[in-house]
Amino acid sequence: MYINDVKMNWEEVIEETRDFLSEEFEIDRNLILPENNLKDTLDLDSLDYVDLVVLIEENLNIKITGEDFKEIVTFGDFFKLVRKKLAL
Amino acid sequence: MLIARNVMESWIPHREPFVMIDNLLLATKEVFESDFFIKSDNMLAQNGFFQETGLIENIAQTCAAAFSYLDAEKHENPRMGFIGAISRLRVYELPAVNSGIVTVVNPLHQLENIYLVKGENWQDGRKLLSCEMKIVVSQ
Repeated sequence: MYINDVKMNWEEVIEETRDFLSEEFEIDRNLILPENNLKDTLDLDSLDYVDLVVLIEENLNIKITGEDFKEIVTFGDFFKLVRKKLAL
Repeated sequence: MLIARNVMESWIPHREPFVMIDNLLLATKEVFESDFFIKSDNMLAQNGFFQETGLIENIAQTCAAAFSYLDAEKHENPRMGFIGAISRLRVYELPAVNSGIVTVVNPLHQLENIYLVKGENWQDGRKLLSCEMKIVVSQ
């Protein structure tokens, strides 16, 4: 699939996502693991979720809603949602 | 003009001497626009210049008026909004008192009751300040 005109497979999407999340939220990218809690790992407060939505839209070209976040606890949940939205 | 100075206090919760907007000129989903004349006794002016705090407050009040106007268009009660965070702040120039400014706000994203907007103050074609602001609207 193409994201921002770059052809990527699913593994590359995950690596790209780990890159931009670790850079923006200033955390070790090795902490972005499927079993880890997204909110705690990224140290998100309610306002930070807006930044996360913007980042996802800019980097992956998909829209995440408040309703979507209700299903997300871990990075594994998050990656599942991304995969569903990207229809991979 | 959508909301004029003389009725602004019916649309926003702010009261004199803390009203930092005159007229709401435009309010759509994509853009809000207002104007404001800075009087010499403005409480956020110092040494003859309107301060950054005033410009930021002017952006916030532009949002407050526009959100109220858009709520009224939908026959909904106006909601109260609060500044949640300010980021990407750039100050280019401070306007002198006894001059007018125009403010343009673009809503960028919405997540539930949190709005991310980009605000800019302008005077005679010169940008004065720009920032992004997260506004939390009561539900």
